[in-house]
Amino acid sequence: MSRNPAIARPVRQRRLQFAARLAAAILGGYAFTWGFIAAAMAVLFKAGMEFHDAEFLASALGLLLFLALFLYIVASRRRPAMIWLALLGGGALLAAAASLLQASVA
Amino acid sequence: MRQGESIVFQSFRQAMAWLHTWFGLVLGFVLMAAFFFGALSVFDREIDRWAIPSSRFEPQPMPSFEKVLRPAFERMQPLPASIEAMRPRVDGPMPAHYDSIAYWSAYTTHRDPVLALYAGYQVPGAKNPEELLLAEATIDPRDGRVLPNDQLKIGSGFFYPLHYSLTLDWKNLGFWIVGFSALVMLAALVSGVVMHRKLFRELFTFRPGKARLRSVLDLHNLTGVVALPFHFFFAFTGLVIFASTYYFPIGHTQLHELHELHEKHEAQELGLPHGRAGVPAGLANVDAMVAQAQRRWEARGMAGDVGFLVLQHVGDANGYVSVYRAGTDRIALVGQGVHFKASTGQLLREDPPTTAVGRVSEFLTGLHLQHFRHWLLRWLYVFGGLAGCACIATGLVFFVEKRKRQHARQGSQGARVVDALAVATVAGMGVAVLCMLVANRLLPEALPARGDWERHAFWGAWLLSLLHAAWRSGPVARGLPNPAWREQAWAIAVLAPLAVLLNWITTGDHLLRTLGAGYWPVAGLDLALLVVAVIAAASARRLGRRAGACSRDAAEDVEAAHA
Repeated sequence: MSRNPAIARPVRQRRLQFAARLAAAILGGYAFTWGFIAAAMAVLFKAGMEFHDAEFLASALGLLLFLALFLYIVASRRRPAMIWLALLGGGALLAAAASLLQASVA
Repeated sequence: MRQGESIVFQSFRQAMAWLHTWFGLVLGFVLMAAFFFGALSVFDREIDRWAIPSSRFEPQPMPSFEKVLRPAFERMQPLPASIEAMRPRVDGPMPAHYDSIAYWSAYTTHRDPVLALYAGYQVPGAKNPEELLLAEATIDPRDGRVLPNDQLKIGSGFFYPLHYSLTLDWKNLGFWIVGFSALVMLAALVSGVVMHRKLFRELFTFRPGKARLRSVLDLHNLTGVVALPFHFFFAFTGLVIFASTYYFPIGHTQLHELHELHEKHEAQELGLPHGRAGVPAGLANVDAMVAQAQRRWEARGMAGDVGFLVLQHVGDANGYVSVYRAGTDRIALVGQGVHFKASTGQLLREDPPTTAVGRVSEFLTGLHLQHFRHWLLRWLYVFGGLAGCACIATGLVFFVEKRKRQHARQGSQGARVVDALAVATVAGMGVAVLCMLVANRLLPEALPARGDWERHAFWGAWLLSLLHAAWRSGPVARGLPNPAWREQAWAIAVLAPLAVLLNWITTGDHLLRTLGAGYWPVAGLDLALLVVAVIAAASARRLGRRAGACSRDAAEDVEAAHA
């Protein structure tokens, strides 16, 4: 690491960005996975699958999705803000869809 | 890897290497505990036999409900501690006696001499009416005698929960730490495969004679790759098992209404209204229901024992009894449920054949929990788990070995700290387990809160091992090995035979007797302890010889740059 202030600042900024990316991989990934599992559960249940079967299948697929998202985001070069936006937005949309489906059935 | 450059990855492979190194380092310690205590949990019930000498007898089938279970269930009440724990979540005073029984249940396997009973009670005025006050008891199924609560089942009551929750129950924190570590384990496996292009060649590469760094890495790759499917399977199914309860409890929160709807459907299929009727009703002869369930299994060509017996809403007109077949000869824990109306004993329903998804679920969870009878596979699980430990431990050692000399030159303490933590994780975990077994044999039988003292012995020994490793870590800062590795290996070599000896002195069950009687739960653990002692002594001697060689080398090549 350099002591030169002209270089030091970008390094600090890049570290913050990296921390934001890691947080997105963990917390954002979790939020998106929640939305995915909820939506998959609701869709499968509506399609006639037994509740606990739907719960199991959606969770198992969701965990694999979480793993893939986690790895992809850590390695990604996109801006953390964009990643956060995509994960939270996508997760919220999926979760909302799940709640709507629930309201239409229950 | 210097931190400055690690931030922007030039390639996917580089990102995976960073992830593997740093997440592996931070969570490797937790993963090691999950794998080690998971490996011990494979024989949890056998460890229980060793720890509770009064339970050293042959496994028993589910006893008669009318003669044994009913009186035992009727005597059960929640423990004062759980009553106190629930008090803040209840409006009004706690009742003096709990008689609104949500369920009574008993679960047994082909390895259980004693029987665990579970009960859930509804509490009037509970802020969440669905929250139950739980109680647990262990009985001798031959006569219904209750085993004291203070006798800790070290295997199934301590090592097993340690394996998935670190016994950190506050806000389920332990579940989250282990769960996140399992995700990181999966990520470490994928990233490990990405990092190493020549995966297949590494399967056959072990150069014990080569430089220490090289052979540690070879061993890391070998244990990681050989058991890769095993590691992936257990980390993944571990997450799946708890996903809908702890990690993604969607059916209990966001989609609670769907869950309710499903329960109403189930109640319809059962032919009983969902929930309690609030009308008192008697209980017909449960033994007759069990006999009928067994006749029905026999008629289907799958005669078997009862594994799980549940009575829902005991004493209520909507109460029913479910009898499940033990999965001794199949992967599912239990199955083929037959349900009866509790007040009349009338058959309500037989579970339909499992769906395709249900079979996958049973396969994944059943293979992880392994309650079926297959002793060879049981041992393979132990070796798979230990291979996982070896993989994580060599990963930690590689981290230290790679940086130790460089850190010594830079005056950094990083390698020293990691090495001390690694000593406490690898050797200290063994020391802690052995101290617990020794304490189990030394503490007076009637000591109040005996189980707590055993837990204190475990955690205290583990803490001491960490302090000892930190105290002795000075040489690492000079690029030399930490003598704590050797010293704690000697501690294991002494403690393990001591536990065997104490078992003999306090119970009279020496190896000749247990082997002669073919009582493998105790003989097996004693033998395993002796094998551990031999391995630990051999490692300690080897480490001693190497330490001598190292200090001679280091004097010569302090500034020699290494990998």
